[in-house]
Amino acid sequence: MKSMLDKLAAILRRDVLTAIRYRTGFVLTLFGVLIELAAFYYLSRAIGPGFRPEGVEYFPFLLVGTGLYTFFVMSAQAFLSAVQEAQQTGTLEVLMTTATAPAELLVLSAISAFSGSLVNLVIYLFAGIAVFRAAVHANFLSCVVVVILSLAIALAVGVLAATFQVAVQKGSALIWLLGSGLWFLSGTMFPVQSLPRPLGVLARAVPFTYAIDAMRGALIEGRPLIAMLPTLAALAAFGLVLLPLALGSLSFSLRRARQCGTLSLY
Amino acid sequence: MNRVTFESVGKVFRHRPALFNWVGHERTGDTFALNNVSFSASSAEVIGLLGPNGSGKTTALKLISTLLLPDSGSVRVGGFDSLRDSGKVRRQVGIAVATERSFFPRLSARENLDFFAALDEVPRRERPRRIQEVLCDTGLEEQADTLAMKFSSGMYQRLGLARALIKRPSILLLDEPTRSLDAAATSHLWETIRALARQNTTVFLATHNFSEAAAVAGRLLLLNHGALLEDRVLSGRERADDLRSLYFQRTGEHAVADDAAAVAIHRAEAAS
Repeated sequence: MKSMLDKLAAILRRDVLTAIRYRTGFVLTLFGVLIELAAFYYLSRAIGPGFRPEGVEYFPFLLVGTGLYTFFVMSAQAFLSAVQEAQQTGTLEVLMTTATAPAELLVLSAISAFSGSLVNLVIYLFAGIAVFRAAVHANFLSCVVVVILSLAIALAVGVLAATFQVAVQKGSALIWLLGSGLWFLSGTMFPVQSLPRPLGVLARAVPFTYAIDAMRGALIEGRPLIAMLPTLAALAAFGLVLLPLALGSLSFSLRRARQCGTLSLY
Repeated sequence: MNRVTFESVGKVFRHRPALFNWVGHERTGDTFALNNVSFSASSAEVIGLLGPNGSGKTTALKLISTLLLPDSGSVRVGGFDSLRDSGKVRRQVGIAVATERSFFPRLSARENLDFFAALDEVPRRERPRRIQEVLCDTGLEEQADTLAMKFSSGMYQRLGLARALIKRPSILLLDEPTRSLDAAATSHLWETIRALARQNTTVFLATHNFSEAAAVAGRLLLLNHGALLEDRVLSGRERADDLRSLYFQRTGEHAVADDAAAVAIHRAEAAS
């Protein structure tokens, strides 16, 4: 356990140092958050106060939906990019010769990538509340629980994307599916109740729908854990199924890549 | 006891046909990277791997490091099977690959080494001392805090060696380690290899440089088309020319090399 924490600290340090040494990119990312929020703020004003999806103001609704969905997509994308870059530079092969088991290494790297995206999410939500005055009544305990469960889902998605990358060199296909195929099913910008019935059923099979729903409940409406139990239970169930599935697939694809000699192919 | 044992090892790379292969044309079929190769290596041995491009040298190194797994036969490292106990194998093996870019460009040499040392489970307290030690061994003390992206090819190569040494491996795998090094650095590396062998490290050195093989190797493995053509203990009196003669005689590459050189000279003359 101590050794694993030591490795995680080394990976986090590497990622933080790399991020801050891309000085311009670091500043532009922060600037980009404000631009995006401004766009959503003026969109909600243009639509007007009469539109109250799920009984809440539209801007906070958008703030949570887009923030959390971006967190899912960007964290998987960031992790996948790191894996692709490591394949292209040959770093992945060298990493796979260290004493750390390949699957452990990738999971720790994913945790680090997601921690970065989590910081972005917190900045995004904080800026939305502090700068654009989004009306929230946060229940912090509920927020923390939702974030932890969302992290588990994000980790599973990221590891699955890495599995695709190692297995068929096309992890970006999964990111594409997330970025363009699933966002409208997960209630990011409008409530899933507005979807036709078959799509509504499909939306209930997407874990992000529950995560966004739960985060809106916790952050905007201040709902306690007990009031969100069915949603949290569904989210936890997704995590319990997806995480072992992702880890098992990753271990299998890494072993197969070492057998076929495709570890560094991209 | 043998540190590394190859028993009838076979490794095949399969080229699966592309979709719509009639649009472009991608080769299909199998490449036999290693075919029924057997040898063993003891502690303190420096083994030179010679052979033309694609002969199986790098594949052999990757099999020892568990980057590749054998299709047939077995690879045992320090008594552990590479298929079943790959984690235990990796703890004993350090590898310096020829890939220059296999570092994190926005980290300094010291930060890169610290990162890899953590993954190699070098205790945190011991890391600064070990890093300083390998930086000295590879002549990189002055560049320790320079970002890796500002390194020259030779410095990358030295950093690769430093990374391989930081876990104090009992088996060191070097793939063309002096390709980008200047004369002084090459000489220093050869001395480092001899010193490691004196400390019981088994060193595998894949090279195209006959002088290098003659200077440091105590044993020679000659590969061609995945087959082991020669496994010979060197007396220490062999010179580069002796190894060159053996190489061309056994691989049959000499005539091709001469023809290719003649064509190149003819083209150069025609162009001028």
